[in-house]
Amino acid sequence: MILGSGGAGLFAALHARRARPDLGITIAVKGLIGKTGCTRMVQGGYNVAIAEGDSVERHFMDTIVGGAWLPRQDLAWKLVTGAKERVVELENEIGCFFDRNPDGTMHQKAFAGQSFDRTVHKGDLTGIEIINRLMEQVLAADIGRLEDHRAIALIKTAQGDALAGVLMIDMRSGDFVFVEAKAVLLATGGGPTMYRYHTPSGDKSCDGLAMALRAGIELRDMEMVQFHPTGLLAGPETRMTGTVLEEGLRGAGGRLLGGDGKRFMAGYSPAAERATRDIVSRAIYQEMREGNTTPGGGVYIDMSHLGADRVRAEFKGMVERCADCGFDLAGGRVEVVPTAHYLMGGVCFEADGSTGLPGLFAAGEDTGGVHGANRLGGNGVANSTVYGGLAGVAMASWAANEGGFRDADGVAIDEAVGRARRPFSRPAGDINHLRQRLYDLMWEDVGIIRDRNRLRRAIAALDELGGALAGTGLGGQAPAFNLTWQDWLDLDSLITVGKAIAATALARAESRGAHFREDFPETGDHAQARYSVTRMRGKNLDIAMEAVDFSIVKPGESLIEDDAGAPPASRSGTEGRPES
Amino acid sequence: MSEATMRELEVAVWRGGDSGGFVTYRVPERADQTVLDVVTFIQRRIDPTLAYRYSCRVGMCGSCAMTVNGRPRWTCRTHVATVAKGGRLSLAPLANMPVIRDLVADMTEFFDKWRRAKGRFVPAKESPKGFARVPPADPKRRAADAGIECINCGICYAACDVVRWNPDYLGPAALNRAWTLYNDVRDGDRLGHLLAVAGDAGCHACHSHQNCMEFCPKGLNPTASIAGLKRAVAGAYLKGEL
Repeated sequence: MILGSGGAGLFAALHARRARPDLGITIAVKGLIGKTGCTRMVQGGYNVAIAEGDSVERHFMDTIVGGAWLPRQDLAWKLVTGAKERVVELENEIGCFFDRNPDGTMHQKAFAGQSFDRTVHKGDLTGIEIINRLMEQVLAADIGRLEDHRAIALIKTAQGDALAGVLMIDMRSGDFVFVEAKAVLLATGGGPTMYRYHTPSGDKSCDGLAMALRAGIELRDMEMVQFHPTGLLAGPETRMTGTVLEEGLRGAGGRLLGGDGKRFMAGYSPAAERATRDIVSRAIYQEMREGNTTPGGGVYIDMSHLGADRVRAEFKGMVERCADCGFDLAGGRVEVVPTAHYLMGGVCFEADGSTGLPGLFAAGEDTGGVHGANRLGGNGVANSTVYGGLAGVAMASWAANEGGFRDADGVAIDEAVGRARRPFSRPAGDINHLRQRLYDLMWEDVGIIRDRNRLRRAIAALDELGGALAGTGLGGQAPAFNLTWQDWLDLDSLITVGKAIAATALARAESRGAHFREDFPETGDHAQARYSVTRMRGKNLDIAMEAVDFSIVKPGESLIEDDAGAPPASRSGTEGRPES
Repeated sequence: MSEATMRELEVAVWRGGDSGGFVTYRVPERADQTVLDVVTFIQRRIDPTLAYRYSCRVGMCGSCAMTVNGRPRWTCRTHVATVAKGGRLSLAPLANMPVIRDLVADMTEFFDKWRRAKGRFVPAKESPKGFARVPPADPKRRAADAGIECINCGICYAACDVVRWNPDYLGPAALNRAWTLYNDVRDGDRLGHLLAVAGDAGCHACHSHQNCMEFCPKGLNPTASIAGLKRAVAGAYLKGEL
């Protein structure tokens, strides 16, 4: 049983089928196969060290330095080595037709935070190519499909020693379905959509992480939330707001202007607009706090000095997207705002996808440890496809050799059904108001700049919000294809995971990677770096800080001779190319 | 409140399944408002039981297509100001597909046809070492590229007269995919892709009405892809390959 149909879920299905053709494999997904999730939304591409002069050691060092020495090194190593194999598979077996150089060899473009041009891509719509080709192969492979099925609880045995199956809602009928499974892959994606501005697809609501927390599973690095600097600010009531305008705009020379019409980035970083995501996001947020904002409350991106025709030619997709919203990106100014993009944190897992709970596997954005404190653009889709495939093979082998069906804990099923049905027995109320409160408090108090007092205030507010949600119902509505019930369940997951983010952020008394504490602005000694482990016990969260095992390279050492984590000085102008 | 924000749209929305009817809602008109935003407003503020589909919000996933004032469109990227006539919108599920409920169409048959058209890459019998060298200027690569960015939103399928007349017809999206595969020099069974679309319900059923081309939100031209398939199938017959 595979939960999710992004890069991780689809790859797991295909690899499990190939490893054990006799096993029954089913993909369950909240929407339609291949249409939900964020692999589909990848613009930039796929990092892989295949070019002459590049090396897996270099890709590895960029990943470690980019992750502020927090990644689990054996997982990061598997990522960079596995990507080489996987990208060939994507091209030669799955059928992705990546862009070529004029001589027909593979084209690789430059991305921020990397010392080599290694990002394989298909225009600026790489994710569509990857997911469409995977989807076709899955459709042809006679893999079971439970579409419009939302997983709501991981159900263990009565003894609690293994996973027995997954409780779902058939969204079309509104009925509950319990599916017994020998092995389950959690590949629902993360997606920090609890922030006022966010990039992921609208169906993403951290369901996988919320289910893992409720099942008592350990999560790693949950405080690490990546913000993309340039989300489109299209207005308060449009779903377009928060969606990404790609980083290539800044890379090409795009300027950020405050509400006063003046550039401000030079005051924050010598690299100005071409500084890395975290620095630019913090700078924009600081300007916003000081009130130097546009009418919509953000800042402007201005490309006009490059010439409208050039901008139109190089950034066709972005120009068209803005034009649909009535904005002229090529010749005018467009309002932007930092936007929550990716969760580096997730379920603690091994390289074969296994977790602390026998029978449960995890891959992709539901997992933590690969990216550490920051993810490089182009490493996200590599992560989901590399680890999805590995988990598929391991699950098939585990299901065939060790995994019988196990008796489910009936009490746990009843409790989970009761929790999900609760809104039908409460008077109808306004959950839009609760969603807005969640967006605002996460954005203001658990966002780009954090401190102790704000985090404490947020944790209390999240508790209160959870209580308010529990008391807010749907009245006598029917459950079949009821999006408002699904919205309620989304909020339930987002509040649960939001609390884990806030509590873990409070526990990390330093700034590192994407996590910035105004009261602890310095990054601690890398050699003493600790990763966080967050676990729910009853209603409480236990948080431990564990020493990073520098199993491959120690801070101060390197596997390569020159600098990692940034383009060579001679090419620094290429930093900040399109990212996913 | 400014005058602009007080104006209202009159929005007729299909409610029910294959049988049902339009219900009219009044939605505040706003600047920067997409059709998906209008649908969302109705579900969030007026009638919480309205069913619709969406996912990515930015024109990448092809989940939110609906019939807007009689034409199939992606709703996330369709600005209200460009389509509302006299402040009126009419919203219905995509045509040529069964209705699940309200604005949600059942795309099962659409994807089954994609599969029947053998719309998937077949690896070469002997995998190349590394990557095939395919110059971007190669005519076959250009033909494949011209159709490759399809997001399987189903708009062309909903717009197609032949699909309406002949439920077995594979439809523009699946045939467009077959054409990109036929032009993919890396594919291990290019003739197999032709064979899959050479039957009565395949490429020859197309009447070249060009609705697919007119309505494709990605600006693709499935009619041209299908014309290419017709030529390729005829050529393969003449050569005795099929």
